[in-house]
Amino acid sequence: MELILKPKKLPELPLEAEVITPDSVAGKTLKEVKALPVYVGNTTETLGKYFDIKGKTAETPSDQLIAIQGECANVKYIGAGMTAGHLIVEGCVGMHAGAEMAGGEFIVTGSAANWAGAEMKGGLMRIHGDAGHQLGAAYRGSPEGMTGGVIVVGGDVGLEAAAFMRRGMLIIHGNVGSFLGVHMNGGEIFVFGNVARRFGAEAKGNGGFIACFGEVESILPTYVYDTTFRPDFMKLYLRQLRDQLGIEVAGEHLETSFRRYRGDIAVGGTAEILIAEP
Amino acid sequence: MSFTLNGVGIEDTFAEGFGMWGARIIITAKNRKWANIAAREMTGFATSVIACDCEAGIERQVPPEETPDGRPGVSVMIFGFSKKRLATPMLNRIGQCVLTCPTTAIFNGIPEEEADDMLDVGASLRFFGDGYQVKMRMGDGWGERQRFWRIPVMEGEFLAEAKFGAIRAVAGGNFLIMGENEDATLEASEKAVEAILEVPGVITPFPGGLCRSGSKVGSTYAFLKASTNTPFCPAIKHTSPDSQVPAGCNSVLEVVLNGLDEPSVMKAMAAGIRAATEVEGIKWITAVNFAGKLGKFQMGLKDALGVE
Repeated sequence: MELILKPKKLPELPLEAEVITPDSVAGKTLKEVKALPVYVGNTTETLGKYFDIKGKTAETPSDQLIAIQGECANVKYIGAGMTAGHLIVEGCVGMHAGAEMAGGEFIVTGSAANWAGAEMKGGLMRIHGDAGHQLGAAYRGSPEGMTGGVIVVGGDVGLEAAAFMRRGMLIIHGNVGSFLGVHMNGGEIFVFGNVARRFGAEAKGNGGFIACFGEVESILPTYVYDTTFRPDFMKLYLRQLRDQLGIEVAGEHLETSFRRYRGDIAVGGTAEILIAEP
Repeated sequence: MSFTLNGVGIEDTFAEGFGMWGARIIITAKNRKWANIAAREMTGFATSVIACDCEAGIERQVPPEETPDGRPGVSVMIFGFSKKRLATPMLNRIGQCVLTCPTTAIFNGIPEEEADDMLDVGASLRFFGDGYQVKMRMGDGWGERQRFWRIPVMEGEFLAEAKFGAIRAVAGGNFLIMGENEDATLEASEKAVEAILEVPGVITPFPGGLCRSGSKVGSTYAFLKASTNTPFCPAIKHTSPDSQVPAGCNSVLEVVLNGLDEPSVMKAMAAGIRAATEVEGIKWITAVNFAGKLGKFQMGLKDALGVE
């Protein structure tokens, strides 16, 4: 069942619309959907005030597709906490998009602002454009960032992506800013563009790694070079990326060798940085 | 009572199978040569639980497009009388024969949804890494959840899936091929084994799939729990009072099969018998049973062949 939302004139202040999830609309009538609360500053408004809403709602979230046809760069929390179903935004999204999502598929054809997929637990989030800072990261004070799911970014990513990552995957086609995977303690990160310095800072390990296929600005001195090898396990991941997530570039590296670094020894960590040999 | 197939007499009897726990391991390697070396090593000395710690064999060659890492693979099946007696030889054989073999990796061949239980072989295997092993996770929160261990070895890394599906399987499928001479009997038996290995989920654990001694429970010696199947030894057919070798038969070979389920074993038996009957010089085919005293599976040759 497809529900179509078209933005009307959006407010100058950010609109907080965490109700735009399959979970919130499934089982409701269109009238009830239009009456769902959204927040502008310190006032509570209705979803129907800012969006034209058409289509049908499903009985369960897993059968629900929501398509937002228009730019929502100033709309926060779209898809936050969703557990199932499909959500497509034909445009850009504001901060906290897909934050804490636990399931389903969330596609953004444009770019996402800061904190997209923060503390994600499950599901698949695809951002075709760029993503801001703290992509998939832990909120301040939280011990764990991503604990599951996959985020695929077609463009560039800002600072502190995947901070405190515990499990799950982050795939970045473009370049990424500093402190990628800071404090990570598990999870897998693949960057096909360039990586800025201080990635993996204070990473602990627990099977976590950052695989770099582009240029690397510098590696922290607290990472120790072990070897250059062609590990079998990487074939599994790369085939998974290619076959299950449609990331064709991954298939070009099935026979690539990697320089393996282990750290961050500043915190007794055993995380890995794997840098593809040209 | 008997019937004929392609002019070969077939006794209306049954093969008596018994329950075992089975697992399937996919061994991959850089090339087929090394995958097969590992598979042969792992399935060595695993013909019968009469004196081996398990029964094991190669099920089939797995093409690269079907293996998790895209490399050539070999499917190996292993059987034990209990989950523990399956897990222990699995661990020992993987540890000594596959982990040690250059370029290999191992993957579970029975998905959790098809398995009766999952054996956490990796929980013990990982200790070979002496603390440097790395737990590898896949699919958390979005796909099929999988766990592997990456164990450092001098050559590089040994990749092993953590858990292996175990299934209540069937062992002891069999039939005897009797011919007028050794050459015809061997040729027919080889063709039978070739046909059997086309059936998924079945192995033939004896050398080349064939057991020339057969076996019977007990012996005239108190210390020996099993002995050669003297009633089917042509060389003594006129001196052994309980010989069951028909006139005109001078050589007998037994095909023994284990499978993941009874239908697979029956299907493989039928394929093997049909192939054997196409060889000139084959006179008689029967099966070994113990009048229902050994196992719960009675796999009739008529039923297997679909003869009314």
